[in-house]
Amino acid sequence: MKACLLCEAILPALPTWQALIGIDEQKIICESCSKSFERADSIDKTTDLSSVTSLYAYNEAMQSYLHQFKFLQDIALAAVFKKELQTILKHQKNIVPIPVHPEKRMTRTFGQVEALLDYAKIPYLNLLEKLDQTAMGEKTRQERLRTKPLFQLKPNIQIKHETYTLIDDIYTTGTTLNHAAKVLRKAGAKHVEAVTLIRA
Amino acid sequence: MVNHFNEAVQHFLAGRIWHREHIPFLTDLIDEQIKARFINVIQGVTTTKNFLNQSIYKCNRCENHAQFKFTTFHCAKCEGPCAYCRQCLKMGRVSSCTELLIWKGPPISFHKQHENHWQGKLTSLQKKASIELMESTNEKKSHLIYAVCGAGKTEILFDPIYELLQEGKRICVAAPRVDVILELEPRFKAAFPRTPIAALYGGATPKEEPAQLVLATTHQLYRFEGAFDAIFVDEADAFPYTADETLQQAVQKAAKPDAPIHFVTATPTGALIDRATRDQAISTIPRRFHGHPLPLPQYESLWRYIEQIHKGNLPRKLTEWIQKCIENKQPFLVFFHQIELMEKALPLIQQFEPRIEAVHAAHENRKEYVQALRNGEFKGLLTTTILERGITISNVQVAVVGAEQSIFTKSALIQIGGRVGRAKETPGGDFILFHHGITYAMDEAKREINQLNQTGGNL
Repeated sequence: MKACLLCEAILPALPTWQALIGIDEQKIICESCSKSFERADSIDKTTDLSSVTSLYAYNEAMQSYLHQFKFLQDIALAAVFKKELQTILKHQKNIVPIPVHPEKRMTRTFGQVEALLDYAKIPYLNLLEKLDQTAMGEKTRQERLRTKPLFQLKPNIQIKHETYTLIDDIYTTGTTLNHAAKVLRKAGAKHVEAVTLIRA
Repeated sequence: MVNHFNEAVQHFLAGRIWHREHIPFLTDLIDEQIKARFINVIQGVTTTKNFLNQSIYKCNRCENHAQFKFTTFHCAKCEGPCAYCRQCLKMGRVSSCTELLIWKGPPISFHKQHENHWQGKLTSLQKKASIELMESTNEKKSHLIYAVCGAGKTEILFDPIYELLQEGKRICVAAPRVDVILELEPRFKAAFPRTPIAALYGGATPKEEPAQLVLATTHQLYRFEGAFDAIFVDEADAFPYTADETLQQAVQKAAKPDAPIHFVTATPTGALIDRATRDQAISTIPRRFHGHPLPLPQYESLWRYIEQIHKGNLPRKLTEWIQKCIENKQPFLVFFHQIELMEKALPLIQQFEPRIEAVHAAHENRKEYVQALRNGEFKGLLTTTILERGITISNVQVAVVGAEQSIFTKSALIQIGGRVGRAKETPGGDFILFHHGITYAMDEAKREINQLNQTGGNL
């Protein structure tokens, strides 16, 4: 018996040929939950990023998903958008997750962006370190725009003259991503792009 | 070394099993109480190995041991593989490296001065059940109160609870649904004004003052251990209690080892009746408090209603019934088996009467809508089975659309019919089953209501 990770409804186990030979994609959320997420597929451009691609809109379903994933610490939910992330990151090299502050990581027990990539089995590079530990959501827009540097390069890291792709869970004002992109570009990256799960 | 216990911590923690990170006290204070052995610390999730050397997990808060409800991951806090329980996740995650606190210091001594302000009078059947319930409690036997909808079940509990309170006992009234707890809270607070009472449900703020009488959803009992001298489970057959083994364990765990666990319901399962009959601990009330019979279901065919509603046509018989209720100024409830179908039907009905709304489990304004129906602001409500029990609306008329659907079991139909004719002034009313074919469940419900009416009429 398998239940939907989000609403706990029992998932119908339909006998299929794919399941029989074991190449079936195992469903982990139910039809109605997956319909409740709204695709955004938006592409933005900022001063420091050549593109920011966001997969989903920040609707009610996504809000409660994020709440359960990050605040209730339900790391199992990292698997929900596995396929979508694999598709969009198929041809990207140099994937860099936005890190959380080490202390935050301890209390949450995991880094949410790394968890998303781990569950999707997407290889990534840990290049950045978070400096400030206040969460972006706790600041006003003005505060966000004039904050001190948020990230620094980890020691002994060499940045190549290539394209890097930053990954974050949510794109709101773009401050976080711009800060991270600046660090990479200063260190020699040719282009910096970003992919986020959500566009707020 | 401290060797006196902190009273505030005792009041909060006694009888509970609590997540260390969520305790509303300073770390130093808790550390000191742990050191002095007033608090026991246990691991949140324990791991054992089976004979194949596979890890078997158990949650020490909700006692879940269904392996598919555990997720393992590399934990940044304990820097190793860590397992957490998804069964009780919403109450704050419990994992292998979580510490759970249990009070081991002296128990709270509750005061024995209480007042019973309930003014009503019990019918002779209620009185008898109340005395029998008290007797079972004294013998520490689990008792079943099998009473029809509208028999006045809550009032039966008042005397036995009052007696227990005066002995300084700690008591819990639990129900699977939050709606039932919300309805019980004001009634108990009015009946026992001098008793510290707490209502616990998801989203309620925990108080530090120790409650002698706890009203709680069965989910909340995950957080208790060996706390109560008696537990009364109201609406014991409601979803999800019967479907979820961990909730039944939670009730057991929350009770002291030899404390009786009583059940109160209009639709007990066969197993519950059998066990209670064997133990001679059952009181049956086949008659409503006002003495009138339960309304019998009336079958009305509504062929192909799903296709019709999806096409945007409201079936004629349903339209006529709703219009009749509106003309007679009677509030009404229409039950649907599915949210989707209900929301298709809503705009069709609103075309001729805008003051009608739809409610379901995830609906935020559920309480307000039911209140709006009571005070006449709304003409009627469309609902899922969420409103099948616990609510009283005077002179309400009830219809079920798609009574043949499997969600409408015998007990669901009996509960739905139980909404009708609860007031002394209007003891009758419509209980219509619109159907696309008649099921055994419909016939069984009708037979059982008939039987109860006959037994009740002969008393």
